[in-house]
Amino acid sequence: MSFDDWYRQDRLPHIYCAGCGNGTIINCTLAAIDQMGWKKEETVFVSGIGCSSRAPGYILTDSLHTTHGRALAFATGVKMANRDLHVVVFTGDGDLAAIGGNHFIHACRRNIDITVVCMNNQIYGMTGGQGSPTTPKGCLSSTTPYGCTETPFDLCELATAAGANYVARWTSYHVKELEKAVKVGLETPGFSFIEALVQCPTAFGRRNKFRQVADHVEYLKVHSLLRAKRDRMLEAGEHIPEDMFVVGELTRRNRPAMGVKP
Amino acid sequence: MKLAIDETRCKGCNLCTKVCPYKIFKEGKRPNRKGIVVPELDRPERCTNCRLRNLYGRQLCGVCQLTCPDQAIHWTEEEPYEPHKVAIEY
Repeated sequence: MSFDDWYRQDRLPHIYCAGCGNGTIINCTLAAIDQMGWKKEETVFVSGIGCSSRAPGYILTDSLHTTHGRALAFATGVKMANRDLHVVVFTGDGDLAAIGGNHFIHACRRNIDITVVCMNNQIYGMTGGQGSPTTPKGCLSSTTPYGCTETPFDLCELATAAGANYVARWTSYHVKELEKAVKVGLETPGFSFIEALVQCPTAFGRRNKFRQVADHVEYLKVHSLLRAKRDRMLEAGEHIPEDMFVVGELTRRNRPAMGVKP
Repeated sequence: MKLAIDETRCKGCNLCTKVCPYKIFKEGKRPNRKGIVVPELDRPERCTNCRLRNLYGRQLCGVCQLTCPDQAIHWTEEEPYEPHKVAIEY
């Protein structure tokens, strides 16, 4: 059995733009879920609103496509109502960090046994490329035409500070690593948060000199800094470049979790 | 096993040309019926999964399949080779 069996074959091809990284992240997540050996009847996918949140519609399990930003609130309800269900949340950066920020913090605080896969494309892709809380400094978007001047959110730091049990960050280039990270997240009792940086050629790349999809993927590959290397650089007292982001497993701990199957 | 691209799903983003370690996928030349330039396969028998999948009994490499955002890349089972006897009439 491969991850292709989890797709609704009659709904494909999906509506994502050519070169959108969301399909890659769904592949990796489904490959990890496939390795877990879960039944389709016992798995629930929850999502909010946005490009990334269209994902559960293409998956052959029960799914909830909920209101903007409230995916985690609905997922909490599903998990509390029936602890036997495996709940996976697909969400985007605008969904999770902007309008659903408070739900995110409190889901981390409660440490509910769900897995959140955040497809961070650093922009509001579906509504026309407005700047989101994770748009990097200096990047152009339709609401920041002279370059974004605000400091972006670091969602992994936020999840760690709020109390999530497992936090990891990968990009759409690192497919095998992402698959392994999602699998560890699914196995971990408690809240697991996996942030996946994806390319958005239509809304983000068009304005930021990544017209070719391969250029943006190359950027993600070159500017990712492994956590072990970051630690080594910090020990040696070297300067970490501003535009690099840390990838890898960032947090793993055993705080008491809520909603774990007895 | 045989590597194949599903032309009804491919949207021509050419991400597979970037990730394959053997550079099996090449950028296509001409658009297909839907106007999408689907990548071409350059000697697909070099693919690790094609050669060794049945020997090892598990998925090998598979980066292109995981990376493809449109789920267009898959492997199909091949018929075992059967020698045919050809009678030539003079």
